[in-house]
Amino acid sequence: MSEQDFYQEFEVFSRKNPRSGLMHQFSLLAPNEEMAMILAQENFMRREEVMDIWVVPSSSIRHMTDEEREALTQRIDNKNYRTTKAYGYLRKKWQDKEQGMLDEQEIMSWKEVKKNRG
Amino acid sequence: MYHYLEHQKGSKTNEDPILYDNFMQRIENGDKIEANDWMPAEYRDTLIKLISMHGISEIMGALPEKEWVPKAPSLERKLAIMAKVQDEMGHGQLLLRVTEDLMKPYGRNRQHLMEDLLSGRLKFHNVFHMPTKTWADAGMVGWLVDGAAIISQTNMLDASYGPYQRALQRICKEEVFHAQHGESIIMALAEGTEDQRKILQDSLNRWWPSLLMFFGPASAETTGSSKQEITIKYNIRKSTNEELRQAFLDKYMPRVFSLGLTVPDETMHYDDVQEKWIYQQPDWNEFKLIIQNKGPRSKARLKVREIAYSNNSWVREALAVAGGDRP
Amino acid sequence: MDKRNEALIDLLYQCADDDLLVSFRGSEWLGLAPHIEADVAFSSITQNTMGHAVYFYRLLQELGEGDVDVLAHERPAVKRRNAVYLEKRNGDGQYDEDPYFDWALAVVRGYFYETYKRVKLISFTNSSYEPLATCAKRILPEQRYHLAYWEEWMKQLQQSSPTAKEKIRTRIEEAWSLSLDLVDFGQYEQTLLIEGYINDPNELKQQWLSELQSKVKDLPTRPLEQVKNGRNGEHTKDLDEALTTLSEVYRTDPVAQW
Repeated sequence: MSEQDFYQEFEVFSRKNPRSGLMHQFSLLAPNEEMAMILAQENFMRREEVMDIWVVPSSSIRHMTDEEREALTQRIDNKNYRTTKAYGYLRKKWQDKEQGMLDEQEIMSWKEVKKNRG
Repeated sequence: MYHYLEHQKGSKTNEDPILYDNFMQRIENGDKIEANDWMPAEYRDTLIKLISMHGISEIMGALPEKEWVPKAPSLERKLAIMAKVQDEMGHGQLLLRVTEDLMKPYGRNRQHLMEDLLSGRLKFHNVFHMPTKTWADAGMVGWLVDGAAIISQTNMLDASYGPYQRALQRICKEEVFHAQHGESIIMALAEGTEDQRKILQDSLNRWWPSLLMFFGPASAETTGSSKQEITIKYNIRKSTNEELRQAFLDKYMPRVFSLGLTVPDETMHYDDVQEKWIYQQPDWNEFKLIIQNKGPRSKARLKVREIAYSNNSWVREALAVAGGDRP
Repeated sequence: MDKRNEALIDLLYQCADDDLLVSFRGSEWLGLAPHIEADVAFSSITQNTMGHAVYFYRLLQELGEGDVDVLAHERPAVKRRNAVYLEKRNGDGQYDEDPYFDWALAVVRGYFYETYKRVKLISFTNSSYEPLATCAKRILPEQRYHLAYWEEWMKQLQQSSPTAKEKIRTRIEEAWSLSLDLVDFGQYEQTLLIEGYINDPNELKQQWLSELQSKVKDLPTRPLEQVKNGRNGEHTKDLDEALTTLSEVYRTDPVAQW
């Protein structure tokens, strides 16, 4: 076995809190995933909050080419029908009927429902 | 910390003109180039040279300050300088990772970088060839050497190479702690006893030429080498060596003087008409010698690194992956 | 000072001095570990451990023993209460000239020490001396990583090459001959026990040894030994050298602000 084979690449991902998604931190070299795991936090999150860490062999990641990445940003800007932008006119309509708009802020606030109503 | 820019043989360029133009267009648009993207060989080689030297200078730069880690004069100082030197090692890690990805097409990895350092092929920054004789030197490295490093690193925060630029973002955030750490040591000495002020002034006197040399010569003619033009062409950094040195003097000279310190150069002053600092050139021949590993502590520091590396190679051999991917 | 107080102070010096010496040896390793990523992580452990030493010295300061930096930097070797194994040099050579340090020693000592420290801190959580119990509860969560780090190194090297196995085995043998005083509580042991400051030292020792037996191959079967008892202020020249280095700048002017 050669010393060179000590240097395996791992990508490190972390989650700051239970509500946040995984974020890519950086990559490190380690001989195996257990060692990568034990090294990850102190290498990249010494000063940061972190509550979950993933390590992934870099070779398991299928990267995009630059052409592929470029293509990601090249959709025609004609997809309002997929978003709320197409429905902005409703605000005025509901206002006329003395009703509020069910916008994002309103709907996300529905997680709390009045209690003790049978 | 950091590297000056040195000459590199142009790897010009049998590049496909369409790919090349497209690449230059991306750079000019402010796009970030990623590790697996097409890039001209000259760009790749410039980055490898620049970032490997930057990274290995962090690893070598840990040593002069580290000499004072076990000796730091209080528990708080011991903790702080340990955290600081740990960061330098961490910066080395980030930068070597960036370099290693760039070197992959050449079948080279970290082991080769370490071997290149030990054989003298890979150079490290001039300041880390110098001795740290007193505790004040530990402070001086933290304050002015790091200050110079911050000037040159922040200048590349918009670098066209994405992985380098992202590493620099991380590094520069930590440098804020380093800057204040250095100031804190210096402030205590400057406001301390007569002996403390004396070792502080003595330290600045000894470090002054190295600080001027930090950014490298103003032009290629001075030492027959500079690749600053290439890095500017590829939007890796924005400013010339001399512009960076002037920026450093702008930021730090008023602070130096406000502490009652002097610099060992009577001609040193700010010229209001030319709007720049006038200073006596350091000995660029000495600079050339230093970066050829002929500085006062070059051999000793390389020896420490070589012992630490080879004496522990059994550990890396023991855990090497059986049949692992050999580049 | 009554004997209870003397005993308590002696106990706190043992804890503080153990962590100080471990972190001093760790600080010599900084920048020199076999692998950069491992170096960075090791330094966090060293910093945490020095932080623990500071915590224990503060408890002593609160008991009127003097400023933490005086306690860490000025006390002569004969006053130091750390276990002798912890003062042992990292290998051959000097950290700033020719560091022929041995990673096998770092791993074995790190693993042995952190395993014992964990057993000890857990027992301290029900110490009758409330500040010590609080201190142990605060340190324990952070110390878990220290143990995990060295345990991983121990496990992996013991499963690896013949060279590595042999180096680890040799350092385990050495640890066995040097570390009896680590599980000793010194001359006030009886008082400490009666006052409820500590739990039964024999129990702690057994817990420690059974923990080691469950994780480590090739443990010696003979009883632990020591060459000197650090808990009684007996030390080697390695400690003298360490104290000279760690107080080098401090001693140039102990009253100056640094």
